[in-house]
Amino acid sequence: MTTLAPPPQKAPPQDVRRKGVTERQRPLWLLTPGGLLMVLIILIPLVLALWISLIDLDQYTLRRWVEAPFIGLGNYVESFSSGLLNSIWISVSFSVLSTIATVPIGIAAALVTQNKYRGRALVRAVFLIPYVLPSFVVATVWRTMLQPDGVVNHWLSQIGIDGGLWLSGPRSYWALVIVEIWAAWPFIYLLSLAALQSVDHEVHEASAVDGATWWPKLRRVILPYLRGPVLLACLLATLNHINNFTLPFVLFGAPAPDDVNVMPMLVYVTSFQSLRFGLSAAMAVLSLVLIAIPLFIYLRAVRLDVHEEGGRR
Amino acid sequence: MSTTASAEATRLLPRWMLVTITALLCVMVLVPVAYILLASLNSDVGVASGEFWPSSFSLDSYSRIWTTADLSTGIVNSLIVCAVTAVASALLGTMTAYVLVRYTFFGRLTILRGLVGLQSIPGTLMLLPVFVLFSSAGNYLGLTVIGTRWGLFLAYLTFALPFSTWVMVTYLRGLPRELEEAARTEGASTIVILWRIIIPLSLPAIVVSGIFAFLLGWNDVLFASVLTRPETHTAAVALQIFGSQQEGGALPVYSQMMAAALICAAPVVLLYLAFQRYLVGGLTAGGVK
Repeated sequence: MTTLAPPPQKAPPQDVRRKGVTERQRPLWLLTPGGLLMVLIILIPLVLALWISLIDLDQYTLRRWVEAPFIGLGNYVESFSSGLLNSIWISVSFSVLSTIATVPIGIAAALVTQNKYRGRALVRAVFLIPYVLPSFVVATVWRTMLQPDGVVNHWLSQIGIDGGLWLSGPRSYWALVIVEIWAAWPFIYLLSLAALQSVDHEVHEASAVDGATWWPKLRRVILPYLRGPVLLACLLATLNHINNFTLPFVLFGAPAPDDVNVMPMLVYVTSFQSLRFGLSAAMAVLSLVLIAIPLFIYLRAVRLDVHEEGGRR
Repeated sequence: MSTTASAEATRLLPRWMLVTITALLCVMVLVPVAYILLASLNSDVGVASGEFWPSSFSLDSYSRIWTTADLSTGIVNSLIVCAVTAVASALLGTMTAYVLVRYTFFGRLTILRGLVGLQSIPGTLMLLPVFVLFSSAGNYLGLTVIGTRWGLFLAYLTFALPFSTWVMVTYLRGLPRELEEAARTEGASTIVILWRIIIPLSLPAIVVSGIFAFLLGWNDVLFASVLTRPETHTAAVALQIFGSQQEGGALPVYSQMMAAALICAAPVVLLYLAFQRYLVGGLTAGGVK
């Protein structure tokens, strides 16, 4: 999102003159309110989550959790026999599948709205709708549409297909994938559109002069411009899919059917329905390990700092 | 439609493909959207039997929903909690981001990396320790945090504050320093510079970061489902609970549910419409020439 969108740089480099001023009077105290709050509500909970994953915390020990017995890696061992691997597989396959499916849709949408025509503003607004609607609203609507007697099965029966159950059993997995694709493709669309608009006009003209027809032009000239931004968008989208709790929770309720028991659902049910807090913390920490790889690549790719790139400013 | 040479040059797809793809995508988006609207105007029985086009239109659902579900409490709670979250994280985020962008100090890159990384931390990982901390505030200190709006506000800050700060970092580093420097040579203090120069200049970005923080709270189900009591339920939780009660009952009131869904979506859609240029600009800025 905005993380990928640095505003255009204008000012010329003037570091030398500036350094003297900035080094001496740094108003670091301005960091204290935000910094203290972040330590209090982010750092401490993160450390605590690690600690909880090492103790035997359940509804009986919760009241006096400081005294809960330390059991080392016991929770981690147990989580592997509590359906963790199955959930990891569902989460990963669901996320990768959703990302792969949204990329062509998003790029196609960007390609068709790149040129001006009458009514384009309206089309762009329509394309943003799934992105704007809150996840819980999207899930509520699809949950209604996918009811056994709902409108989807009604339509399917009109073309001679027996719809069956979408919200439980093996079909629920595909229901989750379809709804996620419906809700998530505008993200790829927005980032592809931004990348498309950064293609120089000369590039278009040069390839037009060459007389290239649309497909070679698209493949050889335009799509290479999209590769970097779209890959970055894919990483971020995959992370978002893996972490998506609202959609499965509102679509299927908790506990989720086995086929859609994604990581966030498993962690949620283990802590707030089975009340096995220690076990669920271990699962959550392991899920962090799972997202660490894409997250690490993403952090390397995103531009963190003005000083990092070739001494600009 | 004008087809000058330059417009022709940037056209990427043949016309028939352009029309086909646009139409397909619009249908894909608009069918479920039209369904919400039509179903909310339908009768509960009509929706339950799988009708797309209502056999009779009425606005009944919109008046009945307020007594069927506790939606008004939810909306008021959501508005209060999210508004406070938005203001707090936009202001604190601006202050923090200003120092992060303009000054170098030890640990700065780690903080920047943390701000980006935190946006991808699973909410379920944060919720559990927050829940334990809040409940121990009750056990050890006698403070009730779980079930209050304040507790929810604090919980939302865990995601809203890093996010708002990062939005401001990306904006402020594009802001030229000349004005600040002129003011500084005139002897203006940091507070004056922040208040008189930075905040007015970056108002659009501050609004965007506030709106994103608001939406984070408004769209959340995870934290609110654990940290609220019935009196403090947010709109999202009210709708989720209402929805999950439908299948067991004798007659599901789907039409009212769609009306409720539309009402819950309305503030978000209105925010986007009002600030569309800023929000989409904020999303795609930098790439646009």
